[in-house]
Amino acid sequence: MRAFFLAVFLVTAVAWSGAVLAVSHVYRLYVDGLACPFCAYGVEKNILALKGVEKLDIDMEGGFITVVMETGSVLKEETARRAVGDSGFTLRRFEAHK
Amino acid sequence: MRHVGILAAVAILALTTPAAAHEPIFAPGAHVHSKGSHEVSLGYHRERAGGAGENETENELSLEYEYGVSADLTVGVEIPFKDKTVNANGSTGFGDIQLAAKYRYLRIDTPGTQYSTALLFRAKLSTGDDDSNPRLGSGSADFVGGLLHDLESRRWYYNFAARYRLNTQGGGNLEKGDKVFLDIVGGVRPVLSEYRDADTVLFFELNWERAARDSLAGADVTDSGGWELFLSPGIFWTYRNYAVTSGLQIPVAENLNGAQPTSDYRFKLMGKYAF
Repeated sequence: MRAFFLAVFLVTAVAWSGAVLAVSHVYRLYVDGLACPFCAYGVEKNILALKGVEKLDIDMEGGFITVVMETGSVLKEETARRAVGDSGFTLRRFEAHK
Repeated sequence: MRHVGILAAVAILALTTPAAAHEPIFAPGAHVHSKGSHEVSLGYHRERAGGAGENETENELSLEYEYGVSADLTVGVEIPFKDKTVNANGSTGFGDIQLAAKYRYLRIDTPGTQYSTALLFRAKLSTGDDDSNPRLGSGSADFVGGLLHDLESRRWYYNFAARYRLNTQGGGNLEKGDKVFLDIVGGVRPVLSEYRDADTVLFFELNWERAARDSLAGADVTDSGGWELFLSPGIFWTYRNYAVTSGLQIPVAENLNGAQPTSDYRFKLMGKYAF
C-alpha cells in the first residue's frame, strides 16, 4: 500500500512538473536602438515592473534582452512590446524559449 | 517672498509631474528619458573671463531633476546656486531657475543604433538676485527654443544642436542681447562595454555662441555682443544607473564687439542618478 501511494505521488509530481515545463518561461527580446548601458537601464526598470518577471539580462553586443519569468507566468509579446516602447526603443523580434 | 513662491511652484511642478541617456557635456542632446524614469543631477560649473579691466569668476552648484512623461517627452527643472566675483566685488545666492521640456518627434531604431530628433524649450525665470553686484540673476524671463539631432551607436556618437535664446528686459532697463548657439559634437566609446560593466564615452564638442548687442533703456550698448567659439573635450562615465560627466570649454576664436572680457575657460562636473 505504501509503495502504491509512493508511485501515485511520483507519477503526479512528474506530470505536474511536465505541465509546468511545457509553458515557456524564458524569452528573448531583440531590441533595436540599444546602444549604451546607461540608456538600457530604463528598459530594465520597465520590464522588471511587469507582473511575473523574475529576472533579466541585457546583451548589449547582441542587442537582446533575456527575460526569465516566474514559474507559471507568461510574457505576452504585446506586453513586452509596450514595455520596450515606453523605454524609448523598438522590439524587433520576440522569441519564447523553453 | 516672490522667490519663495516661485520655489514652491517649481517644487509642486516637480512633484506633480511624474531614465537615462548620453548627452554631450555642454550641448544639449536629443535623447529623452524612458516613460516614468526620474533623473537627479548635482552639478558644479566654473568659468573665468578677463579683459577690458575686468576679471570675472563664477562658481555654480546646480540641482537638476528630470522626468520622462512619455517615451518621447521629458520635463525638468534646474535650481542654480552661484558665487560670482567681478574684480573686488562678490555675490552669493540662488540664480535663475530654469524649467525645461524636450520632445523627441523622430526616432529611428536599428540594431545597436538610435537616431533621435527633438525640440527643446526652456524658460528661465527671474529668481536670481538682480540687485546684487555682480548680479546673480538677469531680472528677466528668458526663453530658449532649439532643434536637436543625435546619433547614438555602440561605438560612435554625433550631435547637432541649434538654439535661440530670446532675452527680455531685466532690472535697470537692461535687455541682454538675444543669443544663438550652434553645436557640433562627435563621440566615441573606446571599449564596447556590456550591460553590467562600467562604460566610458569621450566627447569632442565645437560650441559657437553669438550674442546680439545689449540694450539699455532702448539704446544699444557698444561694448556688448559678438561671438565666441569653444573646443570642448568631455567624458561621460556610467555604471548602471549612475553617471559622472565632465568637460572643459576652451575658447579657440572670438569676435566680441568693443571692449569686453573674453572667456578664459568653462569647466563642468556633474553626477547623475537615474531611477
